[in-house]
Amino acid sequence: MEEKKASVGARVTQEAAAGQAAAAINSMPAALTTFRCPLDGRVFASYADLVDHYNAEHPDSVVPITVNLTINGKNCEILLEPHWTLKQALQFKLGLTGAKHMCDRGACGSCTVIMDGRPILSCQILAAECEGFAIQTVEGIAADPKWKPLIDAYCKWDAMQCGYCTPGFLVTAKCLLDRNPHPTETEIKKALSGNICICGTYPRHSQAILEAAEIIGKEGN
Amino acid sequence: MADIAGKNGQREEFRVVGKPNKPGILSYAQASGVAKFGADYTAPDMLHAKFLRSPYAHAKINSINTEKAWRVPGVVDIVLWDDPDLMGLGGMPFGPPKSYLGNVAHQENQEVGAIVVAESEDACEEALRALEVDWEVLPFIVDLREGGTNPDLPVIRSPEDEGGGDMFGGRPSRPKEGNWSFTDKIEGDMAAGEAAADYVIEYDTNMPIFASLIPNATGSIAWWFDDPYHGPGKSLHIEGAVQRRGNIAQMYHVSNEKCVQEGLFHGGKYCDWSLRKSQEITPLLAKRTGRPVRCVNTREETFDFLMNQRLCHLRIGFTKEGLITFIDDQSIADGGRPGNSSFGTTGDMGYGPYYTLKCENISQRYKVVDTNTGMMYTSGQHCPFNWDTLTMGIHIIAEKLGMYPIDVARLNLHGPTSQKDTDRVPSFEYCLEEGKKLADWHWHPNRAKRLPDGRLHGASFRYQMCPRHAFSGYDCKLELRNGVVHLPTQGPCTGIYAVEANAMTVAEELGLEYEDISVDFDYRETFTPVGGGSDGTTASSWAMKECANILKEKILESAIRAANNPPPPSMFGGFGGGPKKENPLKGHTPDELDMIGGMVCLKSDPSQGMPLKQATSENLFATYSGRPPASLWSLGMGKMLDTMNTAYCEVAVDEDTGEVEILKLTVVADPGKVMRLTSLESQIDQVMFFSQGCQLLEEYVYDQHTGVRLNANMIDYKKPTPMDVPSVNRKFLESRAGNAAYGANGISHSLCNTHLIIIAIYNATGVWVDPPATPDKVLKALGKI
Repeated sequence: MEEKKASVGARVTQEAAAGQAAAAINSMPAALTTFRCPLDGRVFASYADLVDHYNAEHPDSVVPITVNLTINGKNCEILLEPHWTLKQALQFKLGLTGAKHMCDRGACGSCTVIMDGRPILSCQILAAECEGFAIQTVEGIAADPKWKPLIDAYCKWDAMQCGYCTPGFLVTAKCLLDRNPHPTETEIKKALSGNICICGTYPRHSQAILEAAEIIGKEGN
Repeated sequence: MADIAGKNGQREEFRVVGKPNKPGILSYAQASGVAKFGADYTAPDMLHAKFLRSPYAHAKINSINTEKAWRVPGVVDIVLWDDPDLMGLGGMPFGPPKSYLGNVAHQENQEVGAIVVAESEDACEEALRALEVDWEVLPFIVDLREGGTNPDLPVIRSPEDEGGGDMFGGRPSRPKEGNWSFTDKIEGDMAAGEAAADYVIEYDTNMPIFASLIPNATGSIAWWFDDPYHGPGKSLHIEGAVQRRGNIAQMYHVSNEKCVQEGLFHGGKYCDWSLRKSQEITPLLAKRTGRPVRCVNTREETFDFLMNQRLCHLRIGFTKEGLITFIDDQSIADGGRPGNSSFGTTGDMGYGPYYTLKCENISQRYKVVDTNTGMMYTSGQHCPFNWDTLTMGIHIIAEKLGMYPIDVARLNLHGPTSQKDTDRVPSFEYCLEEGKKLADWHWHPNRAKRLPDGRLHGASFRYQMCPRHAFSGYDCKLELRNGVVHLPTQGPCTGIYAVEANAMTVAEELGLEYEDISVDFDYRETFTPVGGGSDGTTASSWAMKECANILKEKILESAIRAANNPPPPSMFGGFGGGPKKENPLKGHTPDELDMIGGMVCLKSDPSQGMPLKQATSENLFATYSGRPPASLWSLGMGKMLDTMNTAYCEVAVDEDTGEVEILKLTVVADPGKVMRLTSLESQIDQVMFFSQGCQLLEEYVYDQHTGVRLNANMIDYKKPTPMDVPSVNRKFLESRAGNAAYGANGISHSLCNTHLIIIAIYNATGVWVDPPATPDKVLKALGKI
């Protein structure tokens, strides 16, 4: 494997993070141009060729399928095995790593994304089931200037320590503010109750969301 | 020891240090989801790897038939424990080489016997299922009480299975007996202590297992690449072994320069810096296959101990006034599987709460039991573990004598300098005074108070000295480049906001703002802000403070050079410029200058100065290698007291349902100096979250018949959620008595506890409940079920 020159980094500003999130979205493949066999790595020019390959070489294996997803407003065609979750598709097919792998059984909320306005656990839904729905990930929220106050407030209040679960919280928080622009602290706690932070940052999320709600409300007016 | 030796350690005015709401250097990356952790990395043409894991608590693999596994589509490599590539890998340079993997599992789900590499994780798992493994199931111990009291159990560990020990000592003081090792530490005159006692109490404490501390699934990805710039041979790129790049380089015999790791993020590295096999093995597999290999644990595979179980039996003698005359602690500690940190067993017995007492007759006799329960890496959050056994004793004494527990604590706590010092510890007195106010502290005997809704009310108090052992040295470097101060560091970013405190310190010393400091992350840099102990962060800030002052001297000297010998005007310099303003620094000496508000200016008249960028055009470097003076605590091993923390808890207990509600948690702590307020407050929230979890919810359950862990997942092992946690009242004292930057010493995990809530339940109900105090246990303790 060729090595790119290792990069070094400095302080990450809101603009830089938003830019990286936008770049990640832009890098998602829009359409399949090659079809790689996940079992032996051979690459084919068409889906039909891949199916033929399966019939000939892997007759006992399930043939991958193509799925069309709408992620952060962008249409993406991906090839995956039918049992793959949306979480797997986001990371391994689309390069989006904001939804995090933690519990892998729907208990922690770290992989939360938004599907048609509702928070869902991407580790618990098959990617194939997501066709036809609008999916928004934390990258989409970070790249949208409207939600800068939420990101700002999260950073201002240290609503993260190690930061691993943070995107899941932030996605849930955005979803809450979408349907309830002025939540109370109790409503925030309820909304976030499906998210686990092993660093124990819960009080900071309430502070951040309350502040962001106020700012977004003022900006909206 | 206050920061007297360092530059400006006694600074009185702070513009930057201690201020709230300064975003972390990498917070925006974390919040935006663009921060990459080890498990997030992928690479083109990447393979996946999975370890075979034991379905048994203790088992030996006699043989593995790989024939069927090789036939699984997508399988690229299968490595068995006796493969030559695994012999000696990561081992000691002396003695006969051992297999990196081995064929004996000492815990259910432990990596053992085989590694499969395949095109996908699914193929890995299918191949693992297809391995025909000849298991020899061996006797096991997962019940610590049984293991620690039954001498007739089969011996589960051979001498060659023993771990190599670790940095925390805990060496056996008696020959091993079967599954038991012994460490005894006896000080003073126990017989005299017994004779002086008017009363002797005995009680048992169960410090439960506390597990699953690391948020992110541990794992790595590695590949080899051509890199002629750093010598012959391939170079290694690994992601996921954060802050352990050097260990990986050493393991694979490549120089540090030929080992690349850009990633900065690792979740929850709260005193657990040990690498897991999934973080170590990928370079080998990448070398064998010639392709990038990713190996990431599942959550079930990341359920290691933050704290081993310990069963304590205490005998405490005391006078009718409440003065403790002896302490006899006989603990049975879970030694876990081979390699378990001795910090979880006996590594903390050399210091701790007993040494905060005037009583000098202290006996600690620990029996460490080999078990098949699990593994504790490095150290834990609840330290020292016996702090809670003493706290329980203080409350039992108070109850027996009709005293306030705070008064019992105050009576027994020795003075700042030694166990013979009868003076008050100022920090303790302040924390008590403020704590009682903040907690609205009204003590009552057990079962003496009911709330208007009929529930029983209980309260508890705990004092705690912050264990500090930051003996680490720090190699700091600062650079003024094009008028901007750069702080280069290798990171990492693990949740403790360490480099942020460094940057704030540099800004403070150089008259700049926090945002002015460019923190440059580069894996090749030597400086890391992380050090051992609760004072690690503040200790690195101490070293960085010294470095900043060295840079400051150079800047001032440079500014004088520039003022006295300005560069000649260039031919392009005059357009539209007019006559240049006289440099106000000209003719002065560096001693007459200061840096204030982003300016290099005259001390005598700060309005006379120039912005830093204009004051000098030179690129300047400053380095400092060193560490702050050792803390009083570490010098005295707990027998010298400078800073102190106190915590208070109030609960309501429903006798009909067994439900416990935390009404109030209060913490008044003395971090010496607040370095970064917002994250310090969050640390308090965190330790209370940990404390609540292990006392009310979190319980690690084993099938006693098979030794299999039943709830190593986040559904059945309950962590507190946002709905569970109460808000924590907090207040900080800045005594400036710590040894690190500006007299800070940190707090970190020292306030974590296993029994603050349990003691409040005791105060409410008059009965002891073993943690976690789930409703069924409370009802059982009350005799209702």
